[in-house]
Amino acid sequence: MSFLRAGYLACPPCIWRVFELMQSVVEFDNVGLRYGTGAETLTDLSFTLYPGSFYFLTGASGAGKTSLLKLLYLAHRPSRGAIRMFGHDAITLPRDRLPGFRRRIGVVFQDFRLVPHLSTFDNIALPLRIAGIQEKDLRSPVTEMLDWIGLTERADARPATLSGGEQQRVAIARAVIGRPEMLVADEPTGNVDPEMARRLLQLFAALNKLGTTVVVATHDIHLLQEIEGAQMMRLDKGRLSDPTGSLRHPPRPLVLKN
Amino acid sequence: MLLDFALPAHDRKLIPEGRLSGPMPWVIAIMLFLTLLIAAMGLSLAYAIRNGGDDLAQQATVQIIEPDPIERATQKVAVSRVLRELPEIADVNSVPDGEVRNLLKPWLGNDVIDADIPVPALIDIRFKKAPDGATIRALKRRLEPVAPKIRIDSHSSWMAPFFDLMSSLIFLTFAIFLLLLIATSAVVILAVRSTLNTHRGTIEIMHMMGGTDLQAARLFQRRVALDALLGGVVGFGAAAAVILTLGGRIAAVEPALLADASLPWYGWLILAIIPLAVMGLAMLMARWTVVSALKKML
Repeated sequence: MSFLRAGYLACPPCIWRVFELMQSVVEFDNVGLRYGTGAETLTDLSFTLYPGSFYFLTGASGAGKTSLLKLLYLAHRPSRGAIRMFGHDAITLPRDRLPGFRRRIGVVFQDFRLVPHLSTFDNIALPLRIAGIQEKDLRSPVTEMLDWIGLTERADARPATLSGGEQQRVAIARAVIGRPEMLVADEPTGNVDPEMARRLLQLFAALNKLGTTVVVATHDIHLLQEIEGAQMMRLDKGRLSDPTGSLRHPPRPLVLKN
Repeated sequence: MLLDFALPAHDRKLIPEGRLSGPMPWVIAIMLFLTLLIAAMGLSLAYAIRNGGDDLAQQATVQIIEPDPIERATQKVAVSRVLRELPEIADVNSVPDGEVRNLLKPWLGNDVIDADIPVPALIDIRFKKAPDGATIRALKRRLEPVAPKIRIDSHSSWMAPFFDLMSSLIFLTFAIFLLLLIATSAVVILAVRSTLNTHRGTIEIMHMMGGTDLQAARLFQRRVALDALLGGVVGFGAAAAVILTLGGRIAAVEPALLADASLPWYGWLILAIIPLAVMGLAMLMARWTVVSALKKML
């Protein structure tokens, strides 16, 4: 453990820092992201996401929400700064170790990104198959998930024949089927009716109770009121504001409001 | 590699089968057809040179150019006896005078040959190994005391330009064979790149879910292997039909040198291995292409 050699145990505040490092799922330190030679899309982001916590990421269109999520699900490396993820330096992580980290992260893409020629069942089962789960072991959880999102009857349907809301539910089911340690969702309730949005949030909350750290990017400010204890990260022109002041403190226990 | 080929059915669905198949097996079939024909040509030539060529190169003809028929006959017997005693000579065949005159009839005509004109006495000899110039000169020195007007024609001397031509043709067929293999590899690479671009979205999703480069590469390997196998079967079938047909016609041609230009049994074995080797090469190319392309992604 390099932090022991670095002398972190020399003082009590440093011990707390070591504890924080060990506990955090993600830690951003002065992170900036720039596409090509353009202006920085994300600037000076410093925050810590703790295990079992629930975060809403809000901000106007173009504020950098999707870019921040891409950093979280390791689709990009930052232009500067440091990112620690699951206790490892994500910047210097060798490329061949990225798949192992990505399997610990579930992603709901804004545009769903379902595989067009696979059935609903196969799309949901995809992360499990990639992880090498045997066919006999994945049938039950996928069937259960199909039931949960109300698409049992459409198990054999291709994405093109599903409505936008149905596709979104499949995308969410695919993201959570592997019980990821962190779930990153980009506008996951944008195309579903309020009742389904609530059901999906309940699914996220249930996962969160099992220890999954959830980050949901959304425009819908009302969603924030649905989950008690959830914290808000607000992006404004690529900079992070922390209105609940919770990002630097351990989260409160999560309660889903009735 | 074999394990990579055997993908579970659900994984095969990730890259739809209809996309890569289509023109690809037929292009591979055509390339393999040409590759097999050129390989068969090279193998047949090599076999002909090794068999017929070596045999001819070991042979020589001793001519006794003595005008007096009685003295010529005496010298012929004496030379034959000396030749049979030499350890480097494997076989001595004294050609009868009648046979020599028959050989000359097409050029000189019956009337001239039947007249009493001097015709050299011929003795065909076969060396144990192909003689060089020094061996021929030494033999001539050895025989001159018995037959002063003697001449030795080594077959290898007049065969040398022919062997050079054959060797050049073998090198040419080998070069064309390599070029065709390179062209086949290029076709596979282009096809895989095209398919990779078509399915980039699927591959990116797999990547984001923790799929490895090799998992993606295996999907393409399998498709390419199947296309190469199908193309190989068609190409081999067509090439075998052509080789058998041509082989039959060559066998009916005189002289015997061309008859030696048939495909030996091990030639067929090599031809059968080539489609399998091309399949392996195609799979390697597919893996290399996909892994190289994916390394550019994070």
